[in-house]
Amino acid sequence: MPAITPQTFKKRSFVYHKLSAKHYTEIAGAAVSIHSVVEPQATVSLCDLSNLPRTGFRGLKAAQHLLSVGLPIPAKPNQAEKSANGELVLRLSQKEFWILANTNCEQSGYSKIDNLLNTTVPKEQCFALYCQDSHAWLLLTGEYLGKIMAKLCGVDLSSEAFPLGSIAQTSAGRINIIVVHHHFNGQPCFSLLCDSAAAEYLWDSLCDAMQEFKGKERGLLALTNS
Amino acid sequence: MSRLNSPAGLLINRRRRISFCFEGKQFEGLAGDTLASALAANDQWLMSRSFKYHRPRGPLTMAGQDANTLVQLEGEPNVLADKIEIAKGLIATGQNCNGSLADDSDAFLGHFSRFMPVGFYYRSFYKMPFSKYKDSWKYWEPTIRRKAGLGELDLTFKPQYYDKEYLFYDVVVVGSGPAGLSAAITSAEAGARVLLVEEQPILGGSLTYHRFDQEGLVADVLRVRLLAEVAQNQRIKVFTKASCNGWFTDNYLPVIQGNRMFKVRAKECIVASGSFEQHVVFRNNDLPGIMMSSAAMRLMKHYAVKPGQSAVVLTGNDDGYFTALELDDQGTDVAAVIDMRENKDIHSNELKTILADRKIDLFTGHTVYEAMASKGNKKVIGVEVRAITGQGTVNNKGFKIACDLVCMSAGYMPVYQLLCQAGAQLSYDDVASEFSLNKLPAHLHIAGSVNATHALSAVLTDGKRAAIIALNNIGLALDQPVPNVECQRKVNFHWPIFSHPKGKDFVDFDEDLQAKDIVNATRLGYRDIQLVKRFSTVGMGPSQGRHSALPTARLVADSTDRNMTQTGVTTARPPFSPEKLAHLAGRIFTPYRRTTMHRRHLALGAKMMPAGNWQRPAFYGHEKDRDQCMHRESVQVRTKVGIIDVSTLGGIELRGPDSAEFMNRIFCYTFLKQPVGKTRYAVLTNEQGVVIDDGVSCRISDEHFYVTATTSGVDNVYRDMMRWNTQWRLDVDITNVTSAFSAVNLAGPDARKVLELLVKDTDLSPEAFPYLAYREGQVVDIPARFLRVGFVGELAYEIHVPSRYGEALWDVLLEAGRAFDIRPFGIETQRLLRLEKGHIIVSQDTDSMSHPAELSLDWAVNRKKPFFVGRRSIDILQAQPQTRKLVGFKLAKDFNIDDKPKEGHLVLADNHLTSKITGNITSCEFSPTLDMIIGLAFVGIHQCAVGNTVYIKVDSGALILADVVKLPFYDPDNLRQQI
Repeated sequence: MPAITPQTFKKRSFVYHKLSAKHYTEIAGAAVSIHSVVEPQATVSLCDLSNLPRTGFRGLKAAQHLLSVGLPIPAKPNQAEKSANGELVLRLSQKEFWILANTNCEQSGYSKIDNLLNTTVPKEQCFALYCQDSHAWLLLTGEYLGKIMAKLCGVDLSSEAFPLGSIAQTSAGRINIIVVHHHFNGQPCFSLLCDSAAAEYLWDSLCDAMQEFKGKERGLLALTNS
Repeated sequence: MSRLNSPAGLLINRRRRISFCFEGKQFEGLAGDTLASALAANDQWLMSRSFKYHRPRGPLTMAGQDANTLVQLEGEPNVLADKIEIAKGLIATGQNCNGSLADDSDAFLGHFSRFMPVGFYYRSFYKMPFSKYKDSWKYWEPTIRRKAGLGELDLTFKPQYYDKEYLFYDVVVVGSGPAGLSAAITSAEAGARVLLVEEQPILGGSLTYHRFDQEGLVADVLRVRLLAEVAQNQRIKVFTKASCNGWFTDNYLPVIQGNRMFKVRAKECIVASGSFEQHVVFRNNDLPGIMMSSAAMRLMKHYAVKPGQSAVVLTGNDDGYFTALELDDQGTDVAAVIDMRENKDIHSNELKTILADRKIDLFTGHTVYEAMASKGNKKVIGVEVRAITGQGTVNNKGFKIACDLVCMSAGYMPVYQLLCQAGAQLSYDDVASEFSLNKLPAHLHIAGSVNATHALSAVLTDGKRAAIIALNNIGLALDQPVPNVECQRKVNFHWPIFSHPKGKDFVDFDEDLQAKDIVNATRLGYRDIQLVKRFSTVGMGPSQGRHSALPTARLVADSTDRNMTQTGVTTARPPFSPEKLAHLAGRIFTPYRRTTMHRRHLALGAKMMPAGNWQRPAFYGHEKDRDQCMHRESVQVRTKVGIIDVSTLGGIELRGPDSAEFMNRIFCYTFLKQPVGKTRYAVLTNEQGVVIDDGVSCRISDEHFYVTATTSGVDNVYRDMMRWNTQWRLDVDITNVTSAFSAVNLAGPDARKVLELLVKDTDLSPEAFPYLAYREGQVVDIPARFLRVGFVGELAYEIHVPSRYGEALWDVLLEAGRAFDIRPFGIETQRLLRLEKGHIIVSQDTDSMSHPAELSLDWAVNRKKPFFVGRRSIDILQAQPQTRKLVGFKLAKDFNIDDKPKEGHLVLADNHLTSKITGNITSCEFSPTLDMIIGLAFVGIHQCAVGNTVYIKVDSGALILADVVKLPFYDPDNLRQQI
């Protein structure tokens, strides 16, 4: 069986041309980097999760829809909460919710996001969003999260000002970005969601900002096992 | 290289020697030395020359506060020798010299100073009699600039990496002297997160070099204690070698450290920036060997360098006495202490006694009237001392004292720059003879000598006072009252200016400005301090008035019969200290966006061009072959099949029960009854009736529209939609899906054949999927939206797919199209193709005044419906006589392509070059299909009839003739796009 490459599937990440990874696995019908070329013990890592499933809903009945499929509803906008299955529910406004796949689950677990779309969505006041395509998903893990983002973003993202479960809808490197502070593998991390067309730009900007902290690109499996 | 014994030398590492080169000569210093201290340790006191008269200059402040030690490094000019640390292999030279620093052939300029009074070049070189140069400044400027000197830029310099970082603190303390340390410790102990910013390499400010007591013990003991408290407190972040270079609203503070600018947000800011010691104005007060008392103290305490063998201390306060004691302790022969104060004004008899005990002569009520120099003014060799008889006047006779060091202390000027940037007001206290600051904005505080508090115990309390007020503001109040701080200590001598008939009594060392220059400026009518500054250039040099502001204010006040508060000082603006453009630029963020097919275009040799922050293929091929590439691509589309990436097109989704009503209100045409599965051209006007965007509306279901917009216009369109619906409150969800969809336009007679190979679930026949229809299906297994559009005038399918599939879509279409010789085409080609069809591009063929009738878009405006944005304005505009119209034109068949008109060229009313302008070219290109040059242009309404001739004025100034023709140029019956 030939090795999986980013172009094996028709679904492709917005930043795969930037990745130095040699090993990919199939997740949700797309190639996801599992190991970068070198897997050093980096204090900071950047991982492309753009091909992991995610979706969103907006409207007066969006919350009702999520509740009906067993997802939790964060109490206030700009808060994130994990579901029992590990999906991350982001509340971006009173009536807008995004759901990010569990980054640490078995292959079969990823289909749950698709089921959200297939389950009966209220016909009124609940509109599916296009965040799988409109936004790229990058994961910043390790130490110095706040310090790295401080080189790009004018909002205080230190752990004191931006605790776990917080969301900042802000600007980094002069593009719009959604920053989510949550746990990955028991460690604090930032999920960064940006305009998919600007994903390569953000990737470059983050790599530049990470240099000072010896940050490296890493694959999902390498992160999971670290 | 000789050094004083420890504990002198706080900043140096005596075990690490470093060699460097200055003026072509090898020197040795110690790690931690600045270039100036290392040179001084080697008895090299001449370090640079002055800007105007090329006078020899040595260290003045030893703190990077003056321009006397500007040197040239390899690759970097105008570096302060008393700030830059030496490093192995450092190569430096002096500045402002013609020849060598020691032998400057322009040093004679000082002898002609009477011919170069203040503002001389404004008047002397503006016009020169009998000159052939009408504006002779152009002639003189290079000469003057060359003579004036300053450093030389290395244009081959490789840029270095600079960046920026945001920081957030509860309290930022600027300055780490005793007041700053006290404020920082108090704040942190109460639980605040504190940033302590210090310009020097070590914390302590005056505690590191100043002597506060006869024994010289207090400062060291206190500094060690305070620094230990800082080190133990995890809440204090210390930045040394960092400069807070400005104050902006809400305590937004740019702090520069190394190659990084920190943008600091502080809830509370305490400025404990201290004060600048001031010089005494007397003849030759700029000679090497004459320096501030604090500079001599820094040389000894920081660098273990003995500042001279025989010293005269000239003072107007008690601090000079402590300098004399330190010099005496370190082995310098203190020839005399000259105190400008009358005996009755000196309150410390202890100091007088201790000088007497040490057999140091004290002359009260005296001043140095003139300093004598060695040959070439390269070092002070003595001073002439005279008794003071009144304000600025002295006895006719005095006496001389030999010395190689003069230490001056006329008093202090608060480091007011950041505070005045914040709006603080300077007021002059006639009793204390010093400025004080008041009217500070909320959340900005001052402490220490910048707050006119000078006694050490009062300074410490003042730091605590400022901290407690700041803590109260952020809810971290200690259970302590705000202490009351009083300080009666007077440190400023009221008039330390002693003009000499022969001049060279410098007020401003940067610009070689003498006392008479300032006075003369006021006599020429420049009474306002701001005008004096601009006319004389006082305070405009690198030290930005740190030492000249106070004497200038005194001189201006005196010569204009005003008081000091009325005179004031010049405006303080950021930056506080010189900063590099690289710091401002930092790591520049220039966002770019790429379509998912970007790399495919590069691989195919596309010439990319910007479209907003996108990059799009202009055409495929080399830039120099533009026309051939475009022609080849356009013929390909007209005869076979071509593909263009249109992912950058804006996309907006409207969903909900009111989506049709919303469409009907926002766009000009009617959309309430747009059939599902159909597309419709949509023109958007603003409230002024001007066409601001256009696109295609696709009705996916009764309550679901997908509307395209122009690449550069979509963000505005989306914003306008959101704004309007804030008022209308219609039940519609509006989403900008531009990045969510990648899209291509597959165009040409063979487009259907290519698509049929890949699409199995949608009937692509013209009957089932006619022109202007909308369908959804799959390209292979890629979910897609299909739009049959006619922008380029051929059978065409716009295929929109979720962006994750964009690259794959491109791949499968090119692969399937290979059998039909498919070729990609770029937007330059697309512009040509649509021009042949007479289709406009909003913003290229429109301007900020274009209304639909001018563009022949009346058909796309439904004026029967009750409302749409811009409706009323359009009614008004169309009720007026129309003045211009966008028309198609063609040039003669044999017209030279290279001479074709350009966009923006003017259309004139008739064939006279001076006749009225009636319009302009908006698009013009050679059409290989039509074999002629065609274009679109705004013309006068009287010129717009088909068959008329219009006159176009081109770059050369010539007029060319064009014929107005009926649009479209190509396929007038629109048959090709409907097949």
